[in-house]
Amino acid sequence: MPIAGRTTMDFFESQATARTRTAYLVFLFAVAVLLTIAGIYLAVLIAWQSSRWWRPDILLGTTSAVALVILCGTAYKMDDLKKGGARVAELLGGVQVSPYSKEPKEQLLLNVVQEMSIASGVPVPGVYILPDEDGINAFAAGFTPQDAVVAVTQGSLETLTRDELQGVVAHEFSHILNGDMRLNMKLMGTVHGLLFLAIAGREIRDMTSSRHGHHKSRSKGVEAFLLFAFLLMIVGYIGVFFSKLIKSAVSREREFLADAAAVQFTRNPAGIAGALKKIARWPTGTLVASSRAEEASHMFFGAALKDSFLRLFNSHPPLPERIKRIMMAYPEMTDAEQKAVAAAEKEREKASDEASLVSDERVQSLVGPSGIDPGRLLDSVGKTQAVHVAYTQQMTAIIPPPVIEATRNPLGAKALVFCLLLCEKEHTGEKSDDWEATLDNAVREEIARLRPFVSAFGSEHRLSLVDMSWPALKALSKAQYQAFRTDLLRLIEADRNVDLFECTVRNLLTSRLDVIFGLSKPRKIIYTNVDQVQMEVFELLSILAREGNKTEPIAVNAFQKAMNRLYGGKQMSLLAKEKCRVALLDKTLARLSETSFELRKQILNACMICIGADRWITEEEAELFRAIAENLDCPVPPLVPGALTSTA
Amino acid sequence: MIAMLVLLGLIVVVAWFCVSIYNKLVTLRNRYKNAYSQIDVQLKRRYDLIPNLVETVKGYLKFERETLEAVVQARSRAMQANSRAAVNPGNAEAMRTLSEAETALSDVLRGFTAVVEGYPDLKAHKSVLPLMEELSSTENKISFARQAYNDEVMSYNITREKFPNTLIAGFFNYQEAALLEITSDEERKAVKVSFS
Repeated sequence: MPIAGRTTMDFFESQATARTRTAYLVFLFAVAVLLTIAGIYLAVLIAWQSSRWWRPDILLGTTSAVALVILCGTAYKMDDLKKGGARVAELLGGVQVSPYSKEPKEQLLLNVVQEMSIASGVPVPGVYILPDEDGINAFAAGFTPQDAVVAVTQGSLETLTRDELQGVVAHEFSHILNGDMRLNMKLMGTVHGLLFLAIAGREIRDMTSSRHGHHKSRSKGVEAFLLFAFLLMIVGYIGVFFSKLIKSAVSREREFLADAAAVQFTRNPAGIAGALKKIARWPTGTLVASSRAEEASHMFFGAALKDSFLRLFNSHPPLPERIKRIMMAYPEMTDAEQKAVAAAEKEREKASDEASLVSDERVQSLVGPSGIDPGRLLDSVGKTQAVHVAYTQQMTAIIPPPVIEATRNPLGAKALVFCLLLCEKEHTGEKSDDWEATLDNAVREEIARLRPFVSAFGSEHRLSLVDMSWPALKALSKAQYQAFRTDLLRLIEADRNVDLFECTVRNLLTSRLDVIFGLSKPRKIIYTNVDQVQMEVFELLSILAREGNKTEPIAVNAFQKAMNRLYGGKQMSLLAKEKCRVALLDKTLARLSETSFELRKQILNACMICIGADRWITEEEAELFRAIAENLDCPVPPLVPGALTSTA
Repeated sequence: MIAMLVLLGLIVVVAWFCVSIYNKLVTLRNRYKNAYSQIDVQLKRRYDLIPNLVETVKGYLKFERETLEAVVQARSRAMQANSRAAVNPGNAEAMRTLSEAETALSDVLRGFTAVVEGYPDLKAHKSVLPLMEELSSTENKISFARQAYNDEVMSYNITREKFPNTLIAGFFNYQEAALLEITSDEERKAVKVSFS
């Protein structure tokens, strides 16, 4: 049920909206810089007791000095934040949660975050706690899901129930999925220039007073420093003023959307509403004590700093308003929160019945292709639902413990990825002994240890396991990653018949990890028109059409249908079989990652048509679609059996 | 006027340069510290496994009390070394102490493993085999984590020693970080006891 005033946007639209808001942000920033210059110019004129209003030399001086300071501040911060979300967590005093933590609350947090990631189809983000914070608050930071982190205050861990924590985490995930998180990082970097003077002033004051204390015999020098710091802070306050305005203009309204999304993900309004209500009763509320809170104020779940008397400056909508909106959209909750919980229970039961049914292979073979509706599959991109979360809970409950442990340490994660690909090879009857002989003893032993568990677990969860291994893979050293990468490439190229799914999974890992380890630069969006990437689309669709050794006429038909959708009347013939080298796929996907999101929607649509041309999508084909979509940074929730059929 | 602006610009450039070097050092230092925590996590795992294992085999190894004692003592020494090292990863002395303690523990564990090998009915005990496998797997993970740590330490040290980084490092007292070597690695590989 949508919340009043909110129109449902699909994933691709929300990416586009986030980009428009970025442009709006830059505009507001430019205006703020000009106004700051004007303000300081006036101040200087008054201080100089100038008789004329127009003094070009002072204007030049002021403009260059102010612009220099602000732009330096902004450039510095943007560069600093390039390290990713973890940097923000560090800045605010965050401590990473150890996967082996014995604290039950910390394990709970890890599980909730993991659940939400897998249900959304994104890699598991780093999880941090802010141990010195009593308030109930949380944030998600990062440019992409790959470098994202989710952090939660100590206060939240201690006071929120699992459902409420889940609601808060779901709210943060909606920011991750809809492009807000990236916008917030840019906002933080941009606005830093304006805050720079105030922060510098404060840092100087802190450093000076901590060094010299409150001795009565403070030297003149120290006094001067303190005065300078004080003046800096005052001048800087102008910047703070503008930064609050910008933040409130750019990010405040998004909070309502994120609240709504949280309900959509969990189908449990009691969760997030419960959290908000608890905050309302909690003495420290959502307040964050860290001195850096102002810089990241817009990223938090709730207002990190005390609301100012002018509503214009608030970084978040008022708490009562947020609670009210949720209650209005879900009135039955006031009646009995149990009703919502009961409905969620029902959903979980239904999902669990279906999941346990279909995971039995013999039943699967009886049922045959599951008849997934292509339209619904495409529609599910970026749209996590409660049913996905429920399905994920079922799935994680049956993952063998050694496999879970493997996802949480680097050696295990590396071995697990190899296992996943090797198990695939077993199905196709490929031999991999030569390749295995080239590995380190330790890795080989680990693979041998994990293999039986992975084989038994089920191949439909491969992508989810890869997502779960993400934090551990990031913890490899650069040299270790390079070794991993080489082994991975050799494994896949060792075959004569390179499997498409293997290739897409491998590309997913390498393209993302290459960026993390600095081996390649993040892709920028260059192409907005389908004609600009004609060659790549052509190659991709040819490969897809030929997938599964279809006969020539069927392949041609699939290909034509897909091409027609994109290119109208242009006649193109399917690429010859010899030319369809799956090894091409890396470059093709790399290029296609440089397209705008609207274009990606069209491309995925065409892929869907191609795969579904025989009007019957098997789960393997759906999984393949999911892998391709993930390569294009379009997260797809896991496929819940029975949820995407045309009759469902 | 122009001269002043040029001077200002120059100061900014130099300041920026210094700041970015400083930040690079901070980043690399954090990386090796994080890498240490990966080792720490696995070491702790191993320390937790050992008492479990010792308890399980105690009954069978009544005549091997010395071996068991040696294991327990080596473990507690290693634990102490680790907690000191965890506070200050990269510190030369802490790393050396840890290295010695860990090498000693590995040696003792190897002896222990060899002893267990000599008691077939012990091997048949249902908890022993999984625990020993777990131990072996943890050893592998420690080794892997150590490799990552050493990689990051090298990376930090190399950057730190370059010119002009070394000036900045000196000013802020960023010292060279120490590698973590477990010396009997080669020996370990040769004397691999298998449980088949």
